[in-house]
Amino acid sequence: MIQVGKKAPDFAAPAYFNGDFTSVKLSDYLGKWVVLCFYPGDFTFV
Amino acid sequence: MSTDSVFVHKMWADHELSKMITKGTVPFPMLADGGGNVGTAYGVYDEDAGVDVRGRFIIDPDGVIQGFEVLTPPVGRNVSESLRQIQAFQLVRESKGGKATPSGWKPGKAVLTPGPDLVGKVWEEWKVQMAFD
Repeated sequence: MIQVGKKAPDFAAPAYFNGDFTSVKLSDYLGKWVVLCFYPGDFTFV
Repeated sequence: MSTDSVFVHKMWADHELSKMITKGTVPFPMLADGGGNVGTAYGVYDEDAGVDVRGRFIIDPDGVIQGFEVLTPPVGRNVSESLRQIQAFQLVRESKGGKATPSGWKPGKAVLTPGPDLVGKVWEEWKVQMAFD
């Protein structure tokens, strides 16, 4: 369950970034502020 | 992050998003959540629709979730508000928890120093109109 003040679940996921296919692991961003955004789908309107 | 594949992300980035932004490239990784496993872990995966709904999580340098906002698909986010919250969390963190940002705070506005002397005295430092503008 997600709660503020608790650890964010770690994950690794395929990614498209700077023209390349790569992989992103949340824990690689320890030491930085992260904004993680979910959205319903590419080409959705808002 | 959405349930789209990285191939669809590439098409969207190259053919639509690149036309919306001055830099021409999306400045952050676009993540693929096929199967919705990550969305499920964060409580934003809609099993009926098979998609991740509009969720935004602010995670601090220790990997701790400081805030989140979840919306149904047709309503977009307010990026300025997300940035304001990050600035507030950063201020609190830099103060090692000694400061707090009251309702309506934004950079440049007064912060509070919680402690015995402030109990019952917030009304002297903060007025309702400070929640707005």
